[in-house]
Amino acid sequence: MAADVVAALDVNSSIAAIQASQMGMKALGAGIAVGLTGIGTGLAEMGIGSAAVGAVAENKDMFGLALLFTVIPETIVIFGLVVGLLLLF
Amino acid sequence: MSTVSAPYIYVCTRMRVRKASLIPREEYQRMLNMSLPEITRIIEETAYKQEIDELGTIFKGIDLIEVALSWNLAKEYQKIQEITPGTLKQFTRAYLRRWDIQNVLTILRGKLQGEKAGKIKEILIPAGSLDRVVLDRMLAEDSTDRIIDMLKGHRMYPVIASEYPAAKESGSFSHMENELYKQFYGEIIADAESGIKGGDLFLDFIRLDINIKNVKTLFRLRVDGSETDAREMYIHGGDLSAADFAALNAIREQGEFVDMLKVRIRSKPILSLLDEMKGDTSVHRDMEVRLTRVQLEQMERLSKRHPFSIHPILVYLEKKKYEVFNLRALARGKESKLPSETIAEYLVM
Repeated sequence: MAADVVAALDVNSSIAAIQASQMGMKALGAGIAVGLTGIGTGLAEMGIGSAAVGAVAENKDMFGLALLFTVIPETIVIFGLVVGLLLLF
Repeated sequence: MSTVSAPYIYVCTRMRVRKASLIPREEYQRMLNMSLPEITRIIEETAYKQEIDELGTIFKGIDLIEVALSWNLAKEYQKIQEITPGTLKQFTRAYLRRWDIQNVLTILRGKLQGEKAGKIKEILIPAGSLDRVVLDRMLAEDSTDRIIDMLKGHRMYPVIASEYPAAKESGSFSHMENELYKQFYGEIIADAESGIKGGDLFLDFIRLDINIKNVKTLFRLRVDGSETDAREMYIHGGDLSAADFAALNAIREQGEFVDMLKVRIRSKPILSLLDEMKGDTSVHRDMEVRLTRVQLEQMERLSKRHPFSIHPILVYLEKKKYEVFNLRALARGKESKLPSETIAEYLVM
């Protein structure tokens, strides 16, 4: 009887540990997804942003178009964010 | 990961936008059919408005156009030196040092011929290492020897100090000018080969420039038919060796000359221009303009192959220079009532 109780407690604690580990891995995955896409976006925006500022410095009329081009790589980090949210919820 | 830094992208984009705003070929074709006042009005409406407005009270007519164009070119070059970052600034400055030679020689020639300081100042382009203040101080001097003394410490001084007495005596600055340009090219090749990042790309431009210059000189010598020592005008650093240069200059027959030049030159764009000339035995009057066009096309290609390097800056600087030369040629030509076809031969479009 006592041995059965100990065995049941052991199973419960290992299930809880596995669940906690899975949650941790999901959180890690979400973090990596957002972090790496953030770096990718940053690198892409570095080039586009520099060129955009250069173009606007010469011709102010280009501001709207330049801003639009600069934010296009934001889609990358949004994909990362979506993947992160799907993992967590 | 990209190794191009943000300031390079910023500056190269600015140069591209500026290049796109230069006067296009069709506009030159239209201007060829206009009168001088109409051309002046067109110039006023473009990038030269500020200079025309500033100088409008002092100068009139053709002088106004000339001075406004020179001022604009100098201002543009100085602005570019301000915005270029790091090694690009170093290479841009090295490229612009050629204006020092032109400015100093203009002052010395003007002073020897007794021109007024104001008249000489009109045609100076203070874009090199000698700025407007230094050039003004030189202009204020009457003695050419004192002008040369003012250059002490400058890299041009040793050559000018050693060559000037003979130049003054003979009344011709051509030998001194050749020596100064040889020194200039030697120095910029050394700069490019000093191991600085991007130096190899700068070297590509220098080699192209030297090749074009040497070929132009060879064609010029053929047109002149003068018996001067060709080696004196040869610039080291391109495809041609000094011996090749002298041998090419000695050939009198045009077809043979072109064939031999094709063997010696490795630069593809020049080779295709020489191919176009195949069978045409006449000496081309517009050869210089055609070679300049080839150089600009090749520079354009290099700037597309290396979009964030010294090339987009150099191609803009060269195209801006030729825009100013073209407008000057147009204005002067119209003033002298030359036919449009003749003026068109001198335009780099």
